[in-house]
Amino acid sequence: MDFLARALLIGLTDHAPLVLAAIGFALLYRLTGLINVAYAETITLGAYFGMWANTSFGLNFYTVLIPAAVMAGLVSVATYLFVFRPARRRYVGVLELIIISFGLSIFLRHGLQFVFGYPERFFNVPPPETIFVAGGGVTSFRLVALLSVAALSLALYWIIQRTRLGLQIRALASDEDLARVSGIRPLAVTVLIWFIAGVAGGLAGAFYGVGASVSPLLGWRQFLAIFLVVLVGGAWGIGGVIAVGVATGIALAAMALQFDQALYGQLVLIVAFIAILKWRGRRLTEQAKV
Amino acid sequence: MLDWLDAFLITGLFEVVMIAGLGLLLHLQLGLARIANFGVVGFWGVGMYTFGVLYVKVDWPFGDPWQFLACAAAATLVAGLAGALVGWLISDLDIDGVLVVTLGFATAVQIVATTEADWTGGAFGLGGLGFPYDIGTVKENEFVWLMITGLLVAAILFYVWRVHRSPYGRLLIATGGNEPLARSLGKPTFRTKLWLFVVTSAAMGLLGAMEAVMVRYLDVGHIGISITLAAIVGLVLGGTARVWGAVVGTVLTVGLFDIVIRTYLPLPREWYSQALPVMREVLFGLALILVLLFRPLGLLGDMRRDQLMRKLHGR
Repeated sequence: MDFLARALLIGLTDHAPLVLAAIGFALLYRLTGLINVAYAETITLGAYFGMWANTSFGLNFYTVLIPAAVMAGLVSVATYLFVFRPARRRYVGVLELIIISFGLSIFLRHGLQFVFGYPERFFNVPPPETIFVAGGGVTSFRLVALLSVAALSLALYWIIQRTRLGLQIRALASDEDLARVSGIRPLAVTVLIWFIAGVAGGLAGAFYGVGASVSPLLGWRQFLAIFLVVLVGGAWGIGGVIAVGVATGIALAAMALQFDQALYGQLVLIVAFIAILKWRGRRLTEQAKV
Repeated sequence: MLDWLDAFLITGLFEVVMIAGLGLLLHLQLGLARIANFGVVGFWGVGMYTFGVLYVKVDWPFGDPWQFLACAAAATLVAGLAGALVGWLISDLDIDGVLVVTLGFATAVQIVATTEADWTGGAFGLGGLGFPYDIGTVKENEFVWLMITGLLVAAILFYVWRVHRSPYGRLLIATGGNEPLARSLGKPTFRTKLWLFVVTSAAMGLLGAMEAVMVRYLDVGHIGISITLAAIVGLVLGGTARVWGAVVGTVLTVGLFDIVIRTYLPLPREWYSQALPVMREVLFGLALILVLLFRPLGLLGDMRRDQLMRKLHGR
């Protein structure tokens, strides 16, 4: 199988959770204007909840996706209700909100170790079947991840762009006061946004966790890539986030095949995306530099 | 000599001095110019590894203390250049962009330190570092190094104090408060931010070199996010707007935890390996949330000039 096909296959299947996580993060970022660093821990907790449901109740991997997603969604809503909503009501500035989310991220990342223990944990699942697609082997979990991500991404895209609920969400994001006088209930819609984002993050975490191990740094390791994808792709809406996320996954896979160290791929990604942001920033802002 | 002094106390105090120094430099960026640098550890790490690699891998024609001075100067220079690069990158970006670029820079430094193992030792670490003098026992050498680093951080504190009382400091505050307004009044905001980043990053790099001498063995675990966290927590708790904020906050966070709790509280032995470090980060994270929710200006509150203005105008 030639290089391109292998990169496509590995990129799409290995990095599918990146797209899902990026959609969840983009929902929060674009619709509530908040950079939530603690979203990394929504992903981590999704993996932990999935592993806990799997090892405690013996549920198979496909069944544990439901409690993992719902519980991560509830945690996400709880962080909104108990941290970010009170902060907004106290008129905490944008910069301070980011620092709060950073504090929450650290708090959750380390606090979860008192609940789930310090050592790395693993899903207790039978070895996945290997399915041959386009001449290359892919595990069944990864194929399910890819299909789920594709279905969920399309569903989220459809909800936001085509339904009445999506219209309410977008109205709230563009002008809260106008949305309020139009009969939209901001609290209900915002809670729903946080829940959907949490579900997306939790599912991504469960897919990441079953592919390797479950550890407190699971979400944080992905956070920078997610953030970069959302900042670069977000300019073109949710569709842009999906497209850039898929392209990033394929590029990471291609570079992992090319370089002897996988970390070089991340380095190239960071440099390339920052260069794009810089280039765009220079075009968008006012030019009168003294 | 120094029998009265606990070896743990020296390392604990060194940690407080180091984080207070980083917090003071972050205060200039975050407190005055309102630039959220989440990559503090990146600049610190650049200095630390530049110093370590030059000190160990280069065959210098002269010995210590000149070897130390040459390597520390190079570390400061390289960190300053990194500051110029990052400062230029973030000059057009909003808060989101600044966050991602600074985080990305710190991650890139960690990746390079891991992958370039021939130079940095990677995950195994880099040994062969030492004090640029030898006055007796390890404890005595460490004590002297603590004093030297303390003097350096006192100099940084003095610099920050001077900046607060200078036209340059007022320009930084104006740039942080409303950049387009400051620019429309003819102030060179781009140059101001860039210079701020160069100077503060260079000083962070020098502090990294000082740390390298103290720990004497570098590995990538040293340059994790917990350094950035400690500097931010200390600064936010003390007060981002005040000169002494970082110092007061660091004493109350790192000092209280790493010296009082770790060294002097009778805690079960098995807590030290995992429970205590985890508890430290949990408490630091919680402190950030609670302080910013209930007392956003930290313990010391608003800047003196703002307090004065309120008194004068009765607001």
